[in-house]
Amino acid sequence: MDPRSEELAALNALGMLESDEKRVLDGSSLVDRELRDLNAELELVAAELGRLVVPVEPPADMKRRIRAKIRSRGGSKLRSISPLALIAGVGWAAAVALALASIWLWRERASLNQQFNSLREAIAPVTQPTAEKEEKEKPPARNLEEELKKLRGDFESQKTALNTEIEALRKREADANAKVAQLVQEAQAQKERDAAMKLHVATLQSEIWEYRRSVMTIVWDASKDQGALMLDKMPRVESGRDYQLWIIDPQKPDPVSGGVLAVDDKGTAKTTFKSTEDVGDAVKFIVSVEKKGGVPKKEGEVVLKEP
Amino acid sequence: MESASHSCVSTTPKTPMAQTELSEEELLQRVARKDSRAFDHLYEALAPRLFGMMRQMLNDDRVAEEVLTEGFVHVWEQASSYDESRCKAFVWAVTVFRQKAIERMRALGRRNRRVDAQSLEQVTFPADAASPDSETVSAALATVPKEDRRLIECAFLKGLTHHVMSEALGQTPEATKAGVRRGMMHLRDSLKKGGL
Repeated sequence: MDPRSEELAALNALGMLESDEKRVLDGSSLVDRELRDLNAELELVAAELGRLVVPVEPPADMKRRIRAKIRSRGGSKLRSISPLALIAGVGWAAAVALALASIWLWRERASLNQQFNSLREAIAPVTQPTAEKEEKEKPPARNLEEELKKLRGDFESQKTALNTEIEALRKREADANAKVAQLVQEAQAQKERDAAMKLHVATLQSEIWEYRRSVMTIVWDASKDQGALMLDKMPRVESGRDYQLWIIDPQKPDPVSGGVLAVDDKGTAKTTFKSTEDVGDAVKFIVSVEKKGGVPKKEGEVVLKEP
Repeated sequence: MESASHSCVSTTPKTPMAQTELSEEELLQRVARKDSRAFDHLYEALAPRLFGMMRQMLNDDRVAEEVLTEGFVHVWEQASSYDESRCKAFVWAVTVFRQKAIERMRALGRRNRRVDAQSLEQVTFPADAASPDSETVSAALATVPKEDRRLIECAFLKGLTHHVMSEALGQTPEATKAGVRRGMMHLRDSLKKGGL
């Protein structure tokens, strides 16, 4: 990896980059895996330094303030539970409901039996049980049976409703899984397309004092002989002149023009470009100062080049 | 522990085991499942070091408290993005909180504010390490050449851009950038040797 990329990654890890430099690094990281990995690695290296900071106890009410803030934002987050978690939650809820209903039914039955027995015992010493009395004692038993029947009915209908809900959530889970599979497939296809594109990222710098802060990043697709570039902190070109991009192909005697660069007043340019001739895969880039409108063959001074 | 009425959300799951015995990584994973008791323990474990860092960077207690709040709200909401195979929970938290502090500095226009060399001279990590991990980091940092180490310390503890640091230290931006690169690569290699 070139020192310039390492430099950007190191500065980024410590949060030292200006916004525009950060954008260049992010753009380059998108297509340069090695840079992306180094960037991530150095971010973790920098974060390890946090272990050396002197701890300071926050104010006593800090946790309460944080909780209040979380509560004030909490509603929307609760809705973002995944279908899988929801299914798991409903499953547990159903199990808990079944268990509670069973316990309640058992206790209700025990309580009614106890009441029934108490009543029977209370009546027993006063009068001898007769056929008539026994007849009177029957209704509570029937009531108990009916009550249990009713509770069972309620319980069965709740169970059916929960089963229906679980079924619906299972269907949603299946749909979500199908969608995930489709996205994975699309990502794989995109990966293959990217690999086929033969991308090359180049960073151009200068050894000339006036151009010391200038930076150009090029993403070049060798399969199509075209690319995209970002140029920043470029000094204003003198009147009657233009900056021109050149592609150096080791198989060709002269650089091939990549076109004139339209640099704005802030010294920046963002554009796509194509080679004016077919070039090979292993190319490099330079920028020179040429006559206004550009020239077919490089004549002027090179101000930026790929190391 | 505060009362139940202060719990973060009403759907707090019950935690059967003593969470104080859990590692920061396990606590963070529980926070991802919206376990507010795990969140409390994680706060107790991380807040003092993170608050110390926020105060160093922001140089303002009130703003440091605000950023600490923002950071922990982020931890609560985004804990599921933590990947244990990639780094320790504390390192993940430092990345989150530093980013928040830098965003706040940018919003307050403090990122590009001039600083004088004198104020940077006092910016340094303490010499005594508090834990085995900090001992390893401290030892690794000590292997970085003095000038490069100074750049890393100032950058980490003050959150300044390389332009501001170059100006304050009276050196060219190229020298600053090259020093930071050298220092960070050196630190990375030393930490690897130290097993972190």
